Amino acid sequence: MAGPTTRAVAPGDVGPVATPPECEGRSRGWRGAARGRQRHPLWLLLPGGVLITLIIIIPLLLAIDISLIDLDQYTLRTWLAAPFVGLQNFVEAFSSGLPRAIWISVSFAVISTVATVPLGVAAALVTQNRYRGRAWVRAAFLVPYVLPSFVVATVWRTMLQPDGIVNAMLAVVGIDGGLWLSGPNSYWTLILVEIWAAWPFVYLMALAGLQSVDGEVHEACAIDGASWWLKLRSVILPYLRGPVLLACLLATLNHINNFTLPYVLFGAPAPDDVNVMPMLVYVTSFQTLRFGLSAAMAIVSLLIIAVPLFVYLRALRLDVHEEGGRK
Amino acid sequence: MAFRSRRSVVALARAAVLAIALGACGRGDGGAGSGAGKTLYVLIGANTQYPQEQQAWQKEISDKFRAQTGATVKWEMFSSANDELTKIQTSVVSGTGPDVCAVGTTLTPTAYSTKAFVKFGDKEWAKIGGKDKFIPSALGISGPDDSNQVGIPWVGRPFVMVYNTELLKAAGIEKPATSWDELTRQAKQLTKGDQYGLAVAYKDNYDPWKFVWGMAAQAGNPLVDGKTARIADPTVEKAYQTYFGWLTTDKVVDPAAVGWTNAQALAAFARGKTGYFALTSALAAKALDAGEVKGKWAFALLPTVPPGATSRPANGVEAASILSGDNLLVADYSKNKDLAFQFVMLITDQDAQVDIYRKLGQLPANAKAAASLLSDPKLAAVVEAQRKSVATPFTGAWADIQLALTNVVVQSIPDLAKGAVSDAALASKLDAAQKASQSALNRAK
Repeated sequence: MAGPTTRAVAPGDVGPVATPPECEGRSRGWRGAARGRQRHPLWLLLPGGVLITLIIIIPLLLAIDISLIDLDQYTLRTWLAAPFVGLQNFVEAFSSGLPRAIWISVSFAVISTVATVPLGVAAALVTQNRYRGRAWVRAAFLVPYVLPSFVVATVWRTMLQPDGIVNAMLAVVGIDGGLWLSGPNSYWTLILVEIWAAWPFVYLMALAGLQSVDGEVHEACAIDGASWWLKLRSVILPYLRGPVLLACLLATLNHINNFTLPYVLFGAPAPDDVNVMPMLVYVTSFQTLRFGLSAAMAIVSLLIIAVPLFVYLRALRLDVHEEGGRK
Repeated sequence: MAFRSRRSVVALARAAVLAIALGACGRGDGGAGSGAGKTLYVLIGANTQYPQEQQAWQKEISDKFRAQTGATVKWEMFSSANDELTKIQTSVVSGTGPDVCAVGTTLTPTAYSTKAFVKFGDKEWAKIGGKDKFIPSALGISGPDDSNQVGIPWVGRPFVMVYNTELLKAAGIEKPATSWDELTRQAKQLTKGDQYGLAVAYKDNYDPWKFVWGMAAQAGNPLVDGKTARIADPTVEKAYQTYFGWLTTDKVVDPAAVGWTNAQALAAFARGKTGYFALTSALAAKALDAGEVKGKWAFALLPTVPPGATSRPANGVEAASILSGDNLLVADYSKNKDLAFQFVMLITDQDAQVDIYRKLGQLPANAKAAASLLSDPKLAAVVEAQRKSVATPFTGAWADIQLALTNVVVQSIPDLAKGAVSDAALASKLDAAQKASQSALNRAK
């Protein structure tokens, strides 16, 4: 059934829009419509445009520029005249630990996301129906999310000391906890703490998805006599697909970009097993003072993050207006 | 020609972009000259142990400076070494920021390499009251040589040991150790039951390299020889073996120390069950007096005879501590340099230096002020340590070398916890540290 085009015209959208059928034959033609759009107050975009330029475009241009020059403490003061080295910083980045840092960051982010999804969805389902004390449960679920990352990392670091409370409790049941903050275990510590801190985000997104399920759907399931499992699998979870996929994307990007958690948990220099990209960029920039090299690493990180984001947005055509119109 | 003009365009574009980016951060400088109506910006570290006392000290200095010059002092504080570095970097790039910066001594070579701070010649030294007013050793990390100095010594925080007088007495030890081997022997004597001979902060990000540098320097290896790194060296290997051996073979350290920072090791010592805490400063006095060891502790010089020896070799250095503390730098971009010199003179004069010790526990760099503290028996060892402090190599690559030395310990902690760091594992980590250090030295300009 071909209906009229429902796509909303965003401010500044100058592309041709199909004319609704009911408008065809009217005296006002394409030129009239174009004139109408020209009257859109595009100047309203100016504040946002200025902010984006200041906050995103200029720093990005600076980062790209710095990644192409030999900028360190010796050339910092006269950085305008710092030697241009082309892609040399990128070549050095790939031969000085960046590939390993990428692997650690990506695997850490993916594992953390995969682990937080079932936790978040389960928590959302548990708090969907009304019951006595639900508000308290919902508030408790949000505690890890509202705590500053610095506080979370500090508390966990204290608990995970070799003579800390975690090892003391494990010792009671005869388990030697060993080292949590050094060596190979540090990787799993980072994932554990990240999961603890991040799962409420998935919970919030899943809860928002659950709230958008129409009451009629629940009624229809009840009338048809669907079991809870069938209802969950075939009716509820498909509703959650969009919000949870979006949560996965955002959470993964957050995990990859997380600097505070590994920095406070492990300090710098960090154990090799948790030398994630943000840590490597930080140490290169602020401890070894190789600003050009660290800018190259940061650009590579940005590209790595941009690829899945771009693919996701293209694949799902994530658009508020379209999603809003799709039911 | 075309290349040059293209470079000019690129430079112009960078300058324009930077001007926009830093526009919001910029600050108008006061006019030239000195006197009323002007403001002097001073960057110093926040004193977390004595925050209220520091505020009172700042107010007092501001009032004195206003009375002397009519100018106002505005203080900017940094809370960590990273914060400090970031603020200095921003100032260097933008050419605007604090007129006077107080930086850690080990950061002075980095600051020097930026060429953003005033080099002190005879004229400049005269403006702050002369070079002679400082303890000679305190000038050891002011610049690469006498004619290229940027750092004005302000306060000292030499490193010392602290020991439990009661535990040592009970173990029949009459005086604290003066060589590393003697320290190990005494620590073994002190270790029994739940009592340990030594507290060491293996997980600290700043402590480990200081041990290694000290032991190597005493054995005749300054770690940097001109443009050559000497990390993969028997003296350094012996230093790490000694440092790790306290836990793995000598077993004189609490195994939990693999997770300790300096503050945790100090807290462990303050509980009264440890003979020595091997690396601390006079600033620890407050925490020690708040612990179980109140009235039962004393400072002592760190050993100055290298491990495995009974006396220093001919080329060994009597390095009791790194030259630690804060230097003052006057920014080259400052339009209030004369005011800055007056301010520096004010806070480095004898009275002000004694005052800052009394209020904030920071040791004077002023020779007369330091001499007046020698009469305090509790401080004698600390003042002696300051006198015997030795500067770390003055190179812009030092930050990388320090990081590489620390990284050897960070990556060895799992082995340390298991009870053995093998020679092969240590050699491989020293090779990596040697490469990183040499690479940094090759880049040094």
